Amino acid sequence: MNDVVRFESVGLRYGLGPEVLQDVSFSLDSGSFHFLVGASGAGKSSLLRLMYLAQRPSRGYISLFGRDISTTPRHELPGLRRKIGVVFQEFRLLPHLSAFDNVALPLRVVKARESEVKRHVEELLAWVGLKDHMKARPSTLSGGQQQRVAIARAVIAKPKLLLADEPTGNVDDHIAGRLMHLFGELNKLGTSVVIATHNEALVRSSGKRVLKLADGEVRILENIADDDADEFDSVFAADRGRVLL
Amino acid sequence: MKFRLPTRIDWRTPDLPIAQDDTTRFLPWLMAFMVFLAALSIAGMFVLADAARTLDRGIENTITIQVPAGENQRADEERIAGAIAMLKQMPGVAGADVLPRERVVQLLEPWLGSAARSTEIPLPWVIDVQVERANAPKAEMISALLTPYITGVQVDDHGVWLRSLLRAVHSVEWIAIIIVILIAVATAATVVFTTRAGMALHRDTIEVMHFVGAHDAYIARQFAIRASMLGFKGSLIGVALAGPALLLLTMLMGNLGFGLLPQIHLSVGVWLAIATLIPVAAAVAMVTARATVMKSLARMV
Repeated sequence: MNDVVRFESVGLRYGLGPEVLQDVSFSLDSGSFHFLVGASGAGKSSLLRLMYLAQRPSRGYISLFGRDISTTPRHELPGLRRKIGVVFQEFRLLPHLSAFDNVALPLRVVKARESEVKRHVEELLAWVGLKDHMKARPSTLSGGQQQRVAIARAVIAKPKLLLADEPTGNVDDHIAGRLMHLFGELNKLGTSVVIATHNEALVRSSGKRVLKLADGEVRILENIADDDADEFDSVFAADRGRVLL
Repeated sequence: MKFRLPTRIDWRTPDLPIAQDDTTRFLPWLMAFMVFLAALSIAGMFVLADAARTLDRGIENTITIQVPAGENQRADEERIAGAIAMLKQMPGVAGADVLPRERVVQLLEPWLGSAARSTEIPLPWVIDVQVERANAPKAEMISALLTPYITGVQVDDHGVWLRSLLRAVHSVEWIAIIIVILIAVATAATVVFTTRAGMALHRDTIEVMHFVGAHDAYIARQFAIRASMLGFKGSLIGVALAGPALLLLTMLMGNLGFGLLPQIHLSVGVWLAIATLIPVAAAVAMVTARATVMKSLARMV
C-alpha cells in the first residue's frame, strides 16, 4: 500500500454539535499534489486538523504513512508529526522567537546539530527572501513575511506530507509564484502536498488534482479543465456571487 | 509514566517563554519561605535528637540516692560505704559511687549561689547508682533496703520522669519531621499550580511544538529546568536567611543559661543538612514541574 493518507468513513463533530465532516473517504498517494477547495465553512481546516493530528475523528478510520492513528501509542505520534509539515492559516509563529529560531524549531526538537541547523535555516530563509530578517521577531514582520517564515518552518525538515492552509493568501503574485515553485520542488522530491485555498486562478493554472469538500463530504476531481470542470466551477460560484453582491 | 532526569541542560533561548511569565514571579520567594521554615525545623530536629540521646544515656544509670548529712562526717562516710556495699550486691546494679563533695557543690550552686560552699550548710551525700536497663531494681526496693540503716534516705529514679520527657521529646521530633514533610508537600503544590498556570498561558506554543514533532519530554524539560532554577534561587535565599536566624536563636538560648533546657549546638552536620536543602528543593521543583507537565500533556491529543 502506497497511501500517505487514508480516510475511511471519517466523521467529525465538535462537542454535541452537528457533524462538520460526514463519511469522508479518500486516499492520497505518496508524491501526490492536491488542492483542497470548498466554500467557506465547508470544513477544510477541520480536515487538515485531522491530517496533522491536531484532532481525533469522532468516527471512522484514518491512517497516516500506513499507521492506523487510533491504535498508534501517544508517544509515537511525534514521530508521525515530524513527517508532516504544516503551514497554518494564522501562521502560529512563536512570538518570542526570532524568524531564525522559529524555522529552526522542527530541527531542534529532533536534537539536530546546531551547525546543521544554522546552515539549513539560513539557506531556506534566504530562499524565501528573508535573509535580512533572520533575527526579527514575528511582530516586526509584515503578514507576507510571517507567512514565509511559517512556510520555511513547515518545509525545513523535508516532510513527507506538506499541509498548507491558504499559504499564498498574504503574499504578492511574485512571492506566491516562488512559494508554489518551492512546493512543486518538494513534491518532485517525493513530498505529498495538500494546499487548502480559495485562489481559483492558482488552482486552474496548476493543473493539479483537487479535493473538493462540500456538505461534509470529499470528492477527488482528477481533471478540472475537462471532465470535472462543472463541479470545480460550482465550488467558486457561491464565492463569486458573494463578491458581486 | 516513566521518569527520566534531563540528560543535558539546554542553555540557549528556550522555545517556551516561561522566563517572562508573571506566574513564576513569586515562586522563588515562596520557595525561600518554605526552605527557611524547613531549615528551622531541621535544626530543631537535630537539637531534639541530641537532647533525646542525652536523656537516653541518663536513663541507663539514673538512680540517685540522697543521704542527709549527719553531725559526724566520719560516721556519715561509714554509713555511705556500707550502703554502697549493699547496693553493689543487689541484682541489676552495675555500680554505685558516692559523688565527690565538689561535684555536689557544683550541682547546688545554681540554686544556692556561693552559699553552697559554706561549711555551715549541711550538704547531703549523693550516691550515683548505675543500673542495668533490662534488670534495673525499682526505687522502692532500694529504699526498702537502705531505710533500716540510713534514716531519711531519698531514692530518686530519674528514669521515671526522664522516660516521660523522652517521650515528649520524641513526639516533638516527629512533629518537626511532619512539618518538614508538609513543607515539602506545600512546596510541590506551589510548583504544580505555577506550572499549570504556565501551561495554560502557553497552550498555543505547546500545541505548535507538538505539531512540529516535539515529544512531551522535550516540552516538560523546559518547565523542569525553569522550575529547578527558580527553586535553587529561592532555596538559596531561604538558607541564607535561616543561617543568621539560627545563630541568633542559639545565642539567645545560650544566654538564658537554664540547666534544664538542652544546649543548642549547631554541629557541622546540622549546617550540612540545611545546605542540602538547596539542591533538594531545586530537585523537588524540577521533578514536580516535569511530572505536572507530563501528566497534563498526556491529556492533549
